[in-house]
Amino acid sequence: MYQLSRRRLLATAAGAAALTVAGCSSGGAKDAKDNRTGAMDKYAVGDQFKATEPVTFSIMMLSSAAYPYKADWPFFAQLAAMTNVKLAATAIPGSDYNQKRSVMISGGNAPMIIPKTYHPDEEAYIAGGAILAVSDYLDLMPNFQDKIKKWNMAPDVDAMREADGKLYLLPGLHEAVWWDYSLAIRTDVLGKLGLAVPQTWDDLHAALKAMRAAYPDRYPLSDRYSMPPNPGADALLSVVGSTYGVYAGWSYQHATWDATASTFVYTGATDQYKQVLQYLNTLVGEKLLDPESFTQPDDAAQQKFASGKSFVISTNAQTVTDYRKDIAKIPGATVAKIPVPIGPLGPTLMGVRTENGVMISSKARESKNFVAMMQFIDWLWYSDAGQVFAKWGIQGTTYTGSVDDGTFALEPTVGWAGLNPNAPKKLNADYGFSNGVFAYGGSTKLLDSQFPPEELKFQQAMSTRKAIPLPPPAPLTSEEREQVTLWETGLKDYVNQQTLKFILGQRPLSEWDAYVGELKAKNMTQYLDVVNKAHQRYQKDHG
Amino acid sequence: MTAVQARPRGPLPTRGYQVFRAINAIVLTGVVVVTLYPFVNVVARSFSGEDYIRSGQVNLVPRGFNLTTYRRVMSDPLFWTDYRNTVVYTVLATAVSIVLTTCYAYVLSKRRLRGRGLLTGVAVFTMFFNGGLIPNYVLVSGLGLRNTIGAIVLPNAISVFNLLVMKAFFESMPAELEEAAAVDGLDTYRTLLRVVLPLSKAVLATMVLFYAVSFWNSWFSAFLYLDRQDLFPVTVYLRNLIAGATSGSDNTTASDTALQIAASIRAVTIVLTSLPIMLVYPFIQRYFVSGVMLGAVKG
Repeated sequence: MYQLSRRRLLATAAGAAALTVAGCSSGGAKDAKDNRTGAMDKYAVGDQFKATEPVTFSIMMLSSAAYPYKADWPFFAQLAAMTNVKLAATAIPGSDYNQKRSVMISGGNAPMIIPKTYHPDEEAYIAGGAILAVSDYLDLMPNFQDKIKKWNMAPDVDAMREADGKLYLLPGLHEAVWWDYSLAIRTDVLGKLGLAVPQTWDDLHAALKAMRAAYPDRYPLSDRYSMPPNPGADALLSVVGSTYGVYAGWSYQHATWDATASTFVYTGATDQYKQVLQYLNTLVGEKLLDPESFTQPDDAAQQKFASGKSFVISTNAQTVTDYRKDIAKIPGATVAKIPVPIGPLGPTLMGVRTENGVMISSKARESKNFVAMMQFIDWLWYSDAGQVFAKWGIQGTTYTGSVDDGTFALEPTVGWAGLNPNAPKKLNADYGFSNGVFAYGGSTKLLDSQFPPEELKFQQAMSTRKAIPLPPPAPLTSEEREQVTLWETGLKDYVNQQTLKFILGQRPLSEWDAYVGELKAKNMTQYLDVVNKAHQRYQKDHG
Repeated sequence: MTAVQARPRGPLPTRGYQVFRAINAIVLTGVVVVTLYPFVNVVARSFSGEDYIRSGQVNLVPRGFNLTTYRRVMSDPLFWTDYRNTVVYTVLATAVSIVLTTCYAYVLSKRRLRGRGLLTGVAVFTMFFNGGLIPNYVLVSGLGLRNTIGAIVLPNAISVFNLLVMKAFFESMPAELEEAAAVDGLDTYRTLLRVVLPLSKAVLATMVLFYAVSFWNSWFSAFLYLDRQDLFPVTVYLRNLIAGATSGSDNTTASDTALQIAASIRAVTIVLTSLPIMLVYPFIQRYFVSGVMLGAVKG
């Protein structure tokens, strides 16, 4: 058996120690001298990134059911030709992406690039040290910095920083708040009853009443998007909430920033939240909103709308085209996606401009191609050219014209969502473009280019509304987060459960104060203390 | 016991028994309807037009009969690749499992074995405790099994429940049979192969069925340990399809347009995936016969 001599052992130990020291000192992009293989010497906004030699980066690849991952997509071939980068993909079914991501990262097997991560999912991996603090390396990403500056997005990005002031996720960036969800209404029914398209929630209430009067046997509004453990009708709650100034439904957030008092308050206990419940409760009480809205599966709600048993339903840009097909059998039926009805805050828009993003594995920092990788990510996800490429593909092959001057059009043989729906080839499934892994965010022009005329009108109507300022950052330390998560679980369960009871009238709203007391018993006050303390700490350290 | 033997053969024409039979028939018919209805509905959907499904008009009979969806699903090469994987994994994993479980169970059924309690304990322990998800993943990765068929076959090769069932079966086998075999000069292995196993067709058939069904249906270990789509079993394909169709967007600013997978495609995939494993039942059922052992030992 081979015996390690004492001298050899010492030498090994010393070597290991040296490595550790070297490992500690490597922080910040300035030290990345040994990691520049393949990187461009001069890389700035407007430059086409091209690695100086062929490089391969490993990447986690969400394989969507609608366009399953294919290694031979023209996207990859063209990308390699343009950038000299080959992507080695770990294909993961979209259905369980997050779980596999957790296991791979925790098991030490994570690829270098980990896209499709929604804030704050990245927080789970920070303590283990598996994820790189990308904010240390932003000087390698000129396009990312440029967009932040140009679109004035520093506060948006700051909201994603951790307690150490660092960023562990490169978020997608939208130039403007993009609002997708609203209500679809049977416009022919409105016309028959002599009603205009509802502008406010009160208008909607009146319109629903008129519909009920004309068709006393049916609920005019029967909604979908009920996903346990959320309270149900989650899109509707979210949409109504946004016009009252609270994040409700599937965008529920525990803390709401009260700008006048300069403090965080608990969303589920605010007056605005109560008003939202009050409004929906009225609709249910007057038999205008189907109580099944909060429990039925999407298919059931869609079937009611399709068969004319209901006239109003939640929608996004995509689903309204499905509804249109569904109601084609009802003579004279028409449907439209209306601008979000206006609430007590007036014509405002409540939403975030950041989007799911990319994490970098800590191991990638040790790669000799690290700098090239950061430049590549910057180009593909954040440069104008990269974003157009990821979304629309190759000019002359998949599209014609240009996004900038509004002449953009898909080639007639290529279809995507509402554009060229009958085309023989699909932009995502057959070419690999408009893939949710690579294509998101960007300028409003780029976003608008994807909409058919109807949705474009909706977006233009929404873009006139004023965006509500973001809450200030209040990042928690990992110990605080652990504690807060426990409280949040109990609070959220209770809020969800009581929300439904209030809306359905199983509990009268006169018991609101008792309910707030119950929330306090579930550590609401302690929760707010921690969040407000975190906010003050961040202000002091980084503000 | 004597009372049972004294009864004449055939059903007793008593009133109580007739009532019992009638209620039995009603209850069982109810169970059959409840279990069969969803499946018949899925089959009907798979042959129906998309419009009829969406407007909820499909129940037991297909409406707008067409085969386009079948053609579409069958023309996806990935579906067939994954399908082939499922067949290969199921056959191989079942074979390995049967061999290992039989060996383990037979050994444990011998009372004269030293350390028998410990060996049983080792197996039973894993029923209640396991390393957890990530340690398992690290273990399988460390053994170099990721992206190999070994990751599917080996970690779940022995199901402790099946092992205990089989052990109990072997224990109930008359010791005289094996003694007779020993007198005739058979060693342990040949006793197992020539005497015990031929008499254990019932339990073997049960085990084959249990293992085959569970491997056919399983998706999690494949999902966890395989990183390439051309290695996935069809269950992972199916799961992605169904989840993609039901999980809308949970984020108001999500840029992925909501996935719209036609309901008929889901139905077709479900039918195609579950059909083969259901066809296995009738072939295995004839082995579910009791009384194989009847008359093997006299006196």
